[in-house]
Amino acid sequence: MMETANDSFQIVGQRPAPERTARLPKKWFQGKPLISIMILAAIILGCLCAELIMTKDPTYMDLQNYNQAPNREFLFGTDTMGRDIFSMLWYGGRISLTIGVLSTFISTFLAIVIGSFCGIAPQWLDSLLMRFTEIFLSIPSLLLIILFQAVWGKANVFSLSVVIGLTSWTSIAKVVRTEVRQIRNNEYVIASRCMGGNFFHILWKHLTPNFLPSIMFMVVMNIRSAIISESTLSFMGIGLPLEIISWGSMLSLAEKALLTSSWWIILIPGIFLITTLLCMTNIGNYLRRSGNQKESNL
Amino acid sequence: MGKRDRNLYYGKKLLLFLGSVFLLSVVVFYVARLAPGDPLVSYYGDRTEKMSPAEREWAMEKLGLNEPIYVQYVKWLENAVHGNFGISFKYKQDVIKVISQRMTNTLLLGGIGFLIIFAGSLLLGIFCAWNEEKWIDKILCRLGTISSCIPEFWISLVLILIFSVTLRILPSSGAYSTGKAADIPDRILHLILPLTVVSLEHLWYYAYMVRNKIQEEVRADYVLLAKSKGLGKKGILFGHCLRNVMPSYLSIMAIAVPHVLGGTFVVESVFSYPGIGALSYESARYHDYNLLMILCMISGILVIFCNMLSQIINEHIDPRIRAREITDTSEVTDL
Repeated sequence: MMETANDSFQIVGQRPAPERTARLPKKWFQGKPLISIMILAAIILGCLCAELIMTKDPTYMDLQNYNQAPNREFLFGTDTMGRDIFSMLWYGGRISLTIGVLSTFISTFLAIVIGSFCGIAPQWLDSLLMRFTEIFLSIPSLLLIILFQAVWGKANVFSLSVVIGLTSWTSIAKVVRTEVRQIRNNEYVIASRCMGGNFFHILWKHLTPNFLPSIMFMVVMNIRSAIISESTLSFMGIGLPLEIISWGSMLSLAEKALLTSSWWIILIPGIFLITTLLCMTNIGNYLRRSGNQKESNL
Repeated sequence: MGKRDRNLYYGKKLLLFLGSVFLLSVVVFYVARLAPGDPLVSYYGDRTEKMSPAEREWAMEKLGLNEPIYVQYVKWLENAVHGNFGISFKYKQDVIKVISQRMTNTLLLGGIGFLIIFAGSLLLGIFCAWNEEKWIDKILCRLGTISSCIPEFWISLVLILIFSVTLRILPSSGAYSTGKAADIPDRILHLILPLTVVSLEHLWYYAYMVRNKIQEEVRADYVLLAKSKGLGKKGILFGHCLRNVMPSYLSIMAIAVPHVLGGTFVVESVFSYPGIGALSYESARYHDYNLLMILCMISGILVIFCNMLSQIINEHIDPRIRAREITDTSEVTDL
């Protein structure tokens, strides 16, 4: 009797409780761009230890074997001047990465100093400086680079980094300025100033730790765009000369390669370059996401 | 905002614009003249090396280069205000004449490229937001990230390699085949590859922006209201969300104009397309001062104007931006 009653009786609107699956605690590597980090690390390591990997002397011009398609002896072929592309990739990566890091260091330093100065400065000075920044931005950067190069004479790694650094600080500076304007009236900054902390002390001890997370993404992206600038400039013949091997100067032989349709001279360094840039972008995007998450939790 | 206020507002903007342009011209003028190098080379070519000091003196005087820089600047400004921008040292012609033909070429490339980017990124952004988190959206996002990493010159090379060298269906350089300047289909054929590069390079950047903006927008409460009112997905997206996104999209696209035009510089050089990109490079390299000045002024004015335009659009949408500036002056810093 009880059984039938139980069967015919139904609770209206009852919903079965959803089965709860025990959520596994997040592993340390989940959500992180692990593959990108690994590939990038491999490339950086390979470039640093280029001497161990190289199968040939990258600067040696083997005039008997110029314009060879990839084969067993020349893994990625040779360029129109008879240099081994596989060896040049690692050797040249060193210079490309150095320029990327060095110029980003310069531009970030400039951006932090100028941005914080604008943020702390009184209103009129700030507007004036921002106006100057805008004018600076409105000169096409290619022209600026040519003019800087003209002042410097023949391009080398250092001069190119300085030139790229000098022309790419503005976007970070703007972010730094906004952040500093928000935190400059905090009690600890005022207290520090009252105790006689000078501009650089406040900048280093109090302001930088606050805005560092929000510019980290831009810094990584700056390395990326610096490497792109280097390769573009070298390709156009304004950057590094052919003798200094970098990914960009390797590609500057491409016009000749087009005539003989030797695809390896164009494709292989390019794919290498793009892989590096893509890894950096992924890491940068991760940094931006993690930076945003922290903000919303506050 | 009253009429008087509005006049004051635009007057202020105009003053700011003129001031910025003036400053820009001073900076470019000084930087160009202070850069080391011999401007006579661009006028006299190789003959410069054989010149005697007296001849040099005479040549410098003829070109007006022996005076102090500020005197030269004032003279240049005086002439420029009257529409006379001087002659190009290299081409020995009025600079306006030198650039006009090439300017049309660049504007054609940049203008059509901009239109493609403008329409394309909007459509692509809407499409991605519509299919949010579906596989097509994910694939497009991936592809977009990859495309943003590819340097312009490299993709140009690859396209030339595929379409001109291997398949032989598209021309690899120039704006038209020799002797076919007026042939429109021929011109279009020459434009295809450069246009592809120019639009590919920027398309994703703005499409992603649109996608994110719409994503934010569809999470707003009014969408729920519209939904409960019985509006369909299409109606809400195009009738309400897009309307809210459009103004900020317009202001972003205003800033994009100089970026797109600047992006044509590299493309022009790879495709040996006769535009002003190559010209400005030459003029900076060989100290063709008058040519350099006018090219810098054109691109500078464009940048300043577009920045201002976007600011005006923004302030029209959200008057708080202007109010914020006013509170800024009174040292209130909580934004």
